[in-house]
Amino acid sequence: MANITKKVSWSSRGDESGAAGEETPLLNGSEQSRPLRQSLDYDNIENQLFLEEERRMSFVAFRCLEISRWVICGLIGFLTGLIACFIDIAVEQLAGLKYRLIKENIVKFTEAGGLSISLLLWVALNSFCVMWGSIIVAFIEPIAAGSGIPQIKCFLNGVKVPRVVRLKTLVVKVVGVIFSVVGGLAVGKEGPMIHSGAVLAAGVSQGRSTSLKKDFKIFEYFRRDTEKRDFVSAGAAAGVSAAFGAPVGGVLFSLEEGASFWNQMLTWRIFFASMISTFTLNFFLSIYHNKPGELSNPGLINFGRFESEAMEYNLYEIPLFIAMGAIGGGLGAFFNFLNYWLTIFRIRYVHRPCLQVMEAMLVAAVTATVAFIMIYFSTDCQPLGPDHTEEYPLQLFCADGEYNSMATAFFNTPERSVRSLFHNPTGTYNSLTLGLFTLTYFFLACWTYGLAVSAGVFIPSLLIGAAWGRLCGILLASTTSTASMWADPGKYALIGAAAQLGGIVRMTLSLTVIMVEATGNVTYGLPIMLVLMTAKIVGDYFQEGLYDLHIKLGSVPFLHWEAPATSHWLTAREVMSSPVTCLNRIEKVGTIVDTLSNTSTNHNGFPVVVQPAKLCGLILRSQLIVLLKHKVFVELARSRLTQRKLQLKDFRDAYPRFPPIQSIHVSQDERECMMDLTEFMNPTPYTVPQDTSLPRVFKLFRALGLRHLVVVDDDNRVVGLVTRKDLARYHVGKHGLEELHLAQT
Amino acid sequence: MSLHRYELGFLLIILNIYSLGLIDAVNVTASDSAANPLQAPSYQSHSSSAVYKPAVDSSYSINLLSSFPEDVEISEYCSEMLRLFGQRYVAYVNCLIPAARPVRVCQNCSPGYKSLSDVFLNISSDQMGPGNVSCRDSILRSDRLMLVFLLYGNLDTIWEKSNCKQCVTTDLKGPNNDTLYYLTLLNQTITCFEKYKEGNHTELCKSCTLPYKDLNDMYSGMEKNSTLCIDLEDSMNMTRKLWSKNFGCSYPHGETIPVIAVSSFMLFLPIIFYLSSFLHSEQKKRKLIHPKRAKSHNSLMNIQDKQS
Repeated sequence: MANITKKVSWSSRGDESGAAGEETPLLNGSEQSRPLRQSLDYDNIENQLFLEEERRMSFVAFRCLEISRWVICGLIGFLTGLIACFIDIAVEQLAGLKYRLIKENIVKFTEAGGLSISLLLWVALNSFCVMWGSIIVAFIEPIAAGSGIPQIKCFLNGVKVPRVVRLKTLVVKVVGVIFSVVGGLAVGKEGPMIHSGAVLAAGVSQGRSTSLKKDFKIFEYFRRDTEKRDFVSAGAAAGVSAAFGAPVGGVLFSLEEGASFWNQMLTWRIFFASMISTFTLNFFLSIYHNKPGELSNPGLINFGRFESEAMEYNLYEIPLFIAMGAIGGGLGAFFNFLNYWLTIFRIRYVHRPCLQVMEAMLVAAVTATVAFIMIYFSTDCQPLGPDHTEEYPLQLFCADGEYNSMATAFFNTPERSVRSLFHNPTGTYNSLTLGLFTLTYFFLACWTYGLAVSAGVFIPSLLIGAAWGRLCGILLASTTSTASMWADPGKYALIGAAAQLGGIVRMTLSLTVIMVEATGNVTYGLPIMLVLMTAKIVGDYFQEGLYDLHIKLGSVPFLHWEAPATSHWLTAREVMSSPVTCLNRIEKVGTIVDTLSNTSTNHNGFPVVVQPAKLCGLILRSQLIVLLKHKVFVELARSRLTQRKLQLKDFRDAYPRFPPIQSIHVSQDERECMMDLTEFMNPTPYTVPQDTSLPRVFKLFRALGLRHLVVVDDDNRVVGLVTRKDLARYHVGKHGLEELHLAQT
Repeated sequence: MSLHRYELGFLLIILNIYSLGLIDAVNVTASDSAANPLQAPSYQSHSSSAVYKPAVDSSYSINLLSSFPEDVEISEYCSEMLRLFGQRYVAYVNCLIPAARPVRVCQNCSPGYKSLSDVFLNISSDQMGPGNVSCRDSILRSDRLMLVFLLYGNLDTIWEKSNCKQCVTTDLKGPNNDTLYYLTLLNQTITCFEKYKEGNHTELCKSCTLPYKDLNDMYSGMEKNSTLCIDLEDSMNMTRKLWSKNFGCSYPHGETIPVIAVSSFMLFLPIIFYLSSFLHSEQKKRKLIHPKRAKSHNSLMNIQDKQS
């Protein structure tokens, strides 16, 4: 038979190591206490408390809620814009300082000899910055490493990645990204911006900060996973919009990456947040650039406007663009392939924080060294134009009045390099310079992604693509005698950038719109779309997208858009976990405590049954903990009639950090008490019969954002429980359907 | 940028200027809009040409032209102004052309521009001249071509592009102090070049470094303040070319060995790092989650049963 269920997992490549891995406990002590990745509860728990609250609420109160949703979205946009502005200005100032310092030094030593000192200075400055950026990430908040987009993707998909939307993460992310960009790594600040927007959204919408122990007593209604996720998608959109000046792109990003359920009102609100964010950034940057009120300079990365006539494209160029898309897809797949193996190596061997810091510093040092060697041995000198845009032109061994062209590519923040590749006039770079630059930067960027620094992969990809794209443009122009036919190499740089980025991250719709918006030219929509399509098709043939690879390596139970193909023969009976720990409707406290303390029951929801095993509801671990904490026991309620009735508010106050069961003290006497779960359980959980096929179950999970799905038999007796983890382990591999073991993180 | 684009709308009339290749002039003219007859109503000139439609007979039309009624004919004062404009225009252009290479535009021709722009200001001002006539409407705005405006626009663009304002005194009479100082430095350098030109270039490089460096520093300083004009830029360009290309005095490619040594050391560090962490660090294992499954042992068989 073609379909063989195989058990694969990344650490069991060589079966013996996998077997060893199963037995040996985790080496890293702190790992063990880390909570498992859990799902978010998007399903509303319609228990009696909820119904009561809804009854109490007036019509006006509901209107107020609606208005406060808008207010929150506005706030999210505003704050995201502010953060983007802060990052931008900080990077510009600090990087300016660094480059001026090095430039002065280089100028001094070019004359006097001893340029190796300048090299050492450059290396030292880079490593110093990156060291701080890496220390805060590695020691304070490891989740802030990388671009943050995979984590946000997971969150929007419905996986609670621990600590991903905390305030501490935000601070580390923002400071970290400033350090890593200033440190001259091959990174961008756009991915972290998206993460920052998401964290802000999660924080603002809750009206309090648990880290700062401050509760503003507002927006209490929104302290639920459902509401929080809506706001987080708004925050991610605002982040994208601030990063690229692409409000529509931001909304589509949320749509593409996150939404499994999506309504028009939410889209409209998200769009509002994105717009506010772009224009907040605009406004403050206009003040910073001494042109207050000028609102037409959006985005952290500004590709500049592609409007001149030389930028027009013609029908005969479309096949060329598609070919470039294919190249981008191939290169992207190669990039991902290298990064995949590097990441596995890092997970296995470079997992201690101090090693991670050292690695990051080494990468920074090597980046500086490579850049220096390139500049030093480059003989590509170009005259300094009257309106030269290079901020730090390096003359080095060039004739007076000329500058080293390699230095414009390397001796600059990456996004400025992107812009000069897009817009510098023909003849600014010669093809050897571009070729060497592409080659080195490709490996540097690949090496850099996955370090313990907060850094995005967007800009490096764009830069690699822009370099080889421009190279293509130059080569094309040199093949024909009429150079005017191929016009501007900047156009090819743009297409190359799109192709490379598409080949690496494999985003489709949102990336097209982002690129179109960032270039400010709608007529590029078609070529960019074609290029991204080709890049995705070609790339997917070889390797998954970078974010998906990292999600897979992080062992996140990620649900894709559709159930794996050819899985209809799998039924809920095979997929579900069984037997399930069930609770009685009126249960002894001791049993509950034991169930919760038992480490082998890793589920977070427990079907509630009436004898004999008939399903009557579902209760969550977090609810049980709150109940235990407030000691809602039947006996106590009888003895103390005055006791306040537990409300939904009590559950919200505990959200989102429910204490672990160990911290709740239950005395021996109390263990004998009984607890009535009727009021608190979800009386109408979703159930499926045993023969439901996997795609059907999958669709329920994806569309409703379920966390637990109870499998029942004909007599409504609980036979099993399906969770996200049960579904996520099936995927289509080379040999048909495969079963993947998720690792514990 | 957006402002500029907006104004393009009614700049359409004078767009033919830019078709001459002086695209950069758009900015200039746009910013000077106060002085320009921007809102020159082209439709009016059309309608007036409709009234005075040239007759079919060409010989007759010459007669007609010479006998325009008094009120539409150009006044004495204005024709005088027009003549003066022509004279100075020719003088300025005559000055410009010989100064094209090597560029001496600012040093030689600034006074010419001054007198030309004076006349043009006179013409374009809405102050009444003698006889209560303003020449602005009659000379500048009466027809579609707007020849005077076009002509002046060309030269004005040249003036703006050359950036001469930075190098001459405010009354445009002659070079300002900075320029004079720069020119003395330049002369020193050139004399030095002349002196050593014949012999070995290394000697030239050694001896002329001081004046050249002074000149270069002065130039860089002026570049920073953006007080440069085309004359200075051109002369500096030529000097630099002489210095670096002809005499080959730019910095030598220095000692390469230390740079190579330092960088290869840097490049070796990561290899050592990865090797040592591969050899010494303990491999981290992951614990796999084992699902509790109903009939987990025969589930594989189950599946296969179903398949077959």
